[in-house]
Amino acid sequence: MKPRVSLTAMASLLVAVLWVGPYVWMVLTSFKTLPELLHAPTAPFPETLTVAAYREVWATVPMARYLLNTAVMATLIAVLQIVLALPAGFALAKLQFVGRRTAFGLVLICLLIPTQATFVPVFLMLGRAGLINTMAALVLPFGASAMGTFLVRQACLSIPDELVEAARLDGAGDLHIVYRLLAPALRPTLAALFLLSFVFHWNDYFWPLVMTTDDRIRTVPVGIALLREQGTGVRWHLVMAGNVILSAPILAVFTVAQRQLIRAVTTRGF
Amino acid sequence: MSFRVSRRSVILGSMATALACEGRRADEERAALWYSYGGKNREVLQRLLTRFQTEASHPRIDATFQGDYFEALAKVRTAIAAGAAPAMTHVVGEVVPYLAEAGVLEPLDGYEGAADLDLVPALAQSGAYEGGADRPLVAVPFNRSVPIMYVNGAMLDHAGISIPRDWSELRAAAGALTVRRGANVAVWGFDCPVSWWFWAALVASAGGRVVDRTGTVTLGGEAGVRALDLWQTLTHRDRVMPPPLGRDYSAWQVGTQNFLSGRAAILWSSTAFLRYIEENANFPVRVAPLARDVRHAVPTGGTFFVLLRGAKDHEKRAAWQFLRWMTERAQTIEWSTSTGYIPVTSGAIAELRRLGYYEAHRNDEIVLGELDAIEPWPWSPTLFRVQREIMDPLLEDAVLEGTDAATALAKGRKEALRP
Amino acid sequence: MKPARPYEPYLLLAPTLALLTLFFIVPFFVAAKESLFTWDLLTPRTYVGLSNYEILWERGELWRIFRNTLTYSAVVVTGAIVLGLALALLLDRKGLLAAFVRGAIFSAYVVSWVAVALLFMWLLDGEAGLVTRLAMAMGLPKKNWLGDVDLALYTLAVVSIWKIAGYAMIVFLAGLQDIPPVLYEAAALDGAGPIMRFRNVTWPALGPSAAFVATSSLILSFQAFDVVRIMTQGGPVHATEFFVYAIYEQIFLNLRVGRASALTLVFGVVVFSLTALELRLFRRREVA
Repeated sequence: MKPRVSLTAMASLLVAVLWVGPYVWMVLTSFKTLPELLHAPTAPFPETLTVAAYREVWATVPMARYLLNTAVMATLIAVLQIVLALPAGFALAKLQFVGRRTAFGLVLICLLIPTQATFVPVFLMLGRAGLINTMAALVLPFGASAMGTFLVRQACLSIPDELVEAARLDGAGDLHIVYRLLAPALRPTLAALFLLSFVFHWNDYFWPLVMTTDDRIRTVPVGIALLREQGTGVRWHLVMAGNVILSAPILAVFTVAQRQLIRAVTTRGF
Repeated sequence: MSFRVSRRSVILGSMATALACEGRRADEERAALWYSYGGKNREVLQRLLTRFQTEASHPRIDATFQGDYFEALAKVRTAIAAGAAPAMTHVVGEVVPYLAEAGVLEPLDGYEGAADLDLVPALAQSGAYEGGADRPLVAVPFNRSVPIMYVNGAMLDHAGISIPRDWSELRAAAGALTVRRGANVAVWGFDCPVSWWFWAALVASAGGRVVDRTGTVTLGGEAGVRALDLWQTLTHRDRVMPPPLGRDYSAWQVGTQNFLSGRAAILWSSTAFLRYIEENANFPVRVAPLARDVRHAVPTGGTFFVLLRGAKDHEKRAAWQFLRWMTERAQTIEWSTSTGYIPVTSGAIAELRRLGYYEAHRNDEIVLGELDAIEPWPWSPTLFRVQREIMDPLLEDAVLEGTDAATALAKGRKEALRP
Repeated sequence: MKPARPYEPYLLLAPTLALLTLFFIVPFFVAAKESLFTWDLLTPRTYVGLSNYEILWERGELWRIFRNTLTYSAVVVTGAIVLGLALALLLDRKGLLAAFVRGAIFSAYVVSWVAVALLFMWLLDGEAGLVTRLAMAMGLPKKNWLGDVDLALYTLAVVSIWKIAGYAMIVFLAGLQDIPPVLYEAAALDGAGPIMRFRNVTWPALGPSAAFVATSSLILSFQAFDVVRIMTQGGPVHATEFFVYAIYEQIFLNLRVGRASALTLVFGVVVFSLTALELRLFRRREVA
């Protein structure tokens, strides 16, 4: 009995070190200075806790702009996805009409196509439309979420028809039914969708990398990745400071909504 | 219901913000400049930009950092195609012919003051390209460099040898300077990024041409083989040169770090890092021309300012103003002395000489001496493709694997023939 | 349920279908068309038929990309399952400490790939990285984790495993909690020790979870881009050239739209098939 307890305790400790350690190192590095890094890179603690790295990152890179862009983009996408998925999911779940199977099939097919497979043509198309480096290029391609539509449809299936019919008898229009009746009823699903979308798109590096060309529309992940681009040696304290700025909001969201996130991830898939 | 109202206002609010962030009015005198180096060079450029903006009559230059040269180039080319190109950027010398022939560069001869820029021919379009003077002016030198050899003075003296002047002396010196500890190497005698530029330098020194006069990509022929073979020898047979790590500019970084921390005794790198290396080394840094084979010839490096044809006229005019200002004596001198790049105007060089600058900075004087040995690039649109798609991967592969130089280059030549 | 008005469902679906078609279906045809041309975005297109595909195949590029991506994915999937299961078994207990550790592990999954890639670039730095120095202190040879041709791909895989282990762990935890305790009690009554209980009760019950983790992490790995772009840029010597990065390189660095489009088509087909497989399993798990 005794030896087994200490084995799992040791294992847990090791695991804790392996997953918490890197973050700790990241934060510690962000408080160091360049000479320290050049001469004693693995010193456990910074000589003086200085926020010089953060100040320099903030000064050399339009971080406030990046943060705004990223927040706006992630929010717009998440909201738009919900706004569009609700009517579509409702129609696919509840209404009978010609072409329903085809429409659902289309949604399913799009579920199977990642944006990494579409970016070249989409880039060319948006380029021809003069939309490269605009918020539209970052938001529109994600406005309709096949996964979101699928999940909303799924959730709508379990809403009794009587509810909708009763609302109709009261003279409610479609928009009223979808946004005022179903939306509150589907709140957990929508919350999960919003959370996942927001986090995913906040973190997205690939799409903004392809679709943006200058600082006006650039997002935080792209901006931070540029920090490592140096000619004479990577200045890790700056990169780590940038990393902290990039991760802090998401970690904050995570701390607050951990359970919802976990549920969302396991039901959605990934 | 409150839920719906707040959602709508969120949408509207964010869209309004987003639109406000979109772009500024384009009727003021302003131009976008995309630039691509970080660290010290970025500081100096920012400083100069700020100074340019303090003059009320000067247009606004919106400068955006785009990563390293190749990423920036990728961004520029795709932006041109997407109709979102900046007015001005700077590009590596090897890609200028390609862009010019593709018709995306703005001809500069007609701009005010283009004729009297007083540029050093070897560094300008006229001297850096074969027949460069006969073509319309499309590129103005910005940060120009040559490859140079840095030597750790303390180690050199300690070993009692002198600076190697040719390939065999280089081998000998590297051998004498390498320090081994058991199976590991504590100090490499010689470090050099295994990349296109240094290989081209070796080829030029061995009397070869990467692209022959008819435009055929010969990859230096026999000279090309000798050049690659030198690296093979130093890395695999003598084991005085570390195998290549990292790609593109991270390889250059590693070399610089090795040299500064005393892990490499001799470094081949760019004059661009002269200032940085001098300031950060805790040993005397000696600078010398690259050890040569049969000729003293070096390619130029660094970038040229270019204006992009697709930008609006008023943007191009604004950009030109900044460009011309940058080539004025004061700016040229400041740029060069702060970074280590070679001054691009004859007036600047003369002024520096007059001020005794070169007497106080012997290393810079040596760099200047290389101007007489500059080997112009062929004006070939395929030059950049050869560099990026053929040579860089080929060199990295060959030196890592130790494959026979002649075989590797023969394969490269075949590759170059395909579309 | 019949629609209130005949055109009602079409209106409700229009925005979604329009965007989906425009951004997911149309691109397929655009890519197919572009793959038959050579185009550098700056000069006019040239028709080359199937030449792009031929060249990609003859040069061994297509095979190399596929092999790299597959190897990487296989390592990541295996690591994710093994580690995820181990972590789930270890941390399936009450208490603040276990909850904290679970949270820390899962948080790695939630943060950006960029953050993880940059962080590990620093940790694995060949000279000054903490991991390298620790390894040296323990007497292990000094390795350039990201610059060594033989190691780079596995280094990327390990970093990816670190990031997604939390996701696998969560799925397995859910699976573990679904196992009715009576099964364990019955097995114990039959005299089975912990290992036998695991083999006869736990492992079979976790089959669907494992399959789920396998397919979703497989698809995720096939789409890997950020780690490559930030940590190795496809190098050294193409050792870490995966599909998406190869496509990116072809269009943005080499300016070969045709080649990029050809690769896109191949990639699209591969991922489409994999995801279809995952969906089948997802549906089945849902029913179960």
